[in-house]
Amino acid sequence: MSSTQFRAGREVYVVGVGLHSFGRFPEQSLSDLARDAVVDALRDSGVPWPAIPVAYFGHVYYHGMSVGETTLAQLGLTGVPIINVENACSSGSTAFWQAYWGITSGVFDLALAFGAEKVPGGPVTVTAENSPARYIGGDHMMAGYALRMTRYMAETGAPASALAQVTVKARQAASLNPFAHRKETYSVEDVLNSRLIADPLTLFQCCPTSEGGAAAVLCAGDALDGYGIDRSRAIRIAAAALTSGNYNGRGSDHSAFSPYRTEPAALQAYEMAGIGPEEVDLVQVHDAATIGELQQVEALQLFPYGEAWRATVEGRTALGGDLPVNTDGGLLAMGHPFGATGIRQVHETVTQLRGEAGPRQVEGARVGVAQCSGAGDVTTVHILTK
Amino acid sequence: MGEAGGGPAFVKVMPLSVDEKCLRLTDAEGRAGTLLGMRCADCGVVVFGPATFCQSCSSQRLEEVELSGQGSLYSYTIVRVPPSGWPGPVPYVLGEVELPEGPHVLAEVVDCAHDALRVGMSVTLALQAVAMPGVEKSERMVYKWRPA
Repeated sequence: MSSTQFRAGREVYVVGVGLHSFGRFPEQSLSDLARDAVVDALRDSGVPWPAIPVAYFGHVYYHGMSVGETTLAQLGLTGVPIINVENACSSGSTAFWQAYWGITSGVFDLALAFGAEKVPGGPVTVTAENSPARYIGGDHMMAGYALRMTRYMAETGAPASALAQVTVKARQAASLNPFAHRKETYSVEDVLNSRLIADPLTLFQCCPTSEGGAAAVLCAGDALDGYGIDRSRAIRIAAAALTSGNYNGRGSDHSAFSPYRTEPAALQAYEMAGIGPEEVDLVQVHDAATIGELQQVEALQLFPYGEAWRATVEGRTALGGDLPVNTDGGLLAMGHPFGATGIRQVHETVTQLRGEAGPRQVEGARVGVAQCSGAGDVTTVHILTK
Repeated sequence: MGEAGGGPAFVKVMPLSVDEKCLRLTDAEGRAGTLLGMRCADCGVVVFGPATFCQSCSSQRLEEVELSGQGSLYSYTIVRVPPSGWPGPVPYVLGEVELPEGPHVLAEVVDCAHDALRVGMSVTLALQAVAMPGVEKSERMVYKWRPA
């Protein structure tokens, strides 16, 4: 709540990022996806695995115990602490948050955050199989987003075509991204005419459940030179905020009740960074469904409440707009392997701030925000600066 | 035990609530019931369903309250692809209903044409028996909403 809980110490930088492509990989295990991303991130950083003193691994679905340990064992048994992190759709970004705090607190000079997932197909639920929720029919992630969408459209007058434009934009960005799960581009009509999942949400407005891996190497600012890290490619973490449910009068839930629960984490992050929303150059948000992107950018105070749909229609949030959102395709086109998503957002932000995003490059980008949501009212907001 | 004579004894089986901490059945047929919540004696906040600590102020001075069987439809969706384990017909309407006491309650909306659904419409509690297909003794009375 108050800023007094933050006592950030040393400056922390992202010095390496890695990704395993997002999609479906029936021949590869969860460990394979995670390991490839880690090797990629270590190579990018120039830091050898034996130098890493701690690692945090985000994942949700069960693939046996201690998967973080068995994955990294393939790189060599170095004896370091390895922590497996489950925080729903925010598992990856939570691992990253822990890596940040492990360094800024002064305990470690370096840390590895990585995540991977093989999400089963079909509607995502969060309760156990024997829960009364199965009788009631309310435990359905996309139905939750559909409830938010119905309400948003009724309150703001946003037309269905404006929501569909979020997918059109995501696919345009993903068509320029070789790592994306879905690269085909669509028209607004294509999106609206796709199969209804939960009215008014159509299939192409829901993120694919996917597989993939992502990793980041973090380093203390005062340790960069000692590890021979190229300062010109190091991206500073200006803020790392993680919140759970804040009481809002409607009760805590995973879907419908608190679309603006992101706000407390956003306010913490802006305060911690000493950066205001007006200084942000590009944003990655949790667009598990189209409505998610609109509500997240509003909760991040980048657009006034009820205005994000207009900004989307006007092209302001597309590549080439004044505030590009989800520049790699977001969850809608990258897909959503829970444990990897939050670190994938960091990967894209770092790539953009380094000026290495190729055809997706946001010119002159200096401040990037990455926001990720998860069941349990989890929200992470990270602010990265050049 | 051992009641003698007179032919087979018929035992009246009371219907079961889907979740007795959320829905109390108030007649022997299970056709009437009351939604339950907890009210904080310190700050007055009301939540739907069970609670040990107040969600808002963490007080443990909570008392059970009966909630309104009336509310307003805060939002709705027509679910075409159901979650695994859904025992009802498809599509079904899922409604998020705001109670006068504050909490929102998610449940199916029944007896309403899709084109008659409106944000803000008044709805009233309706109970229906639901059984899990192929599962013995799985029938439960489930709270739903219908147009008021």
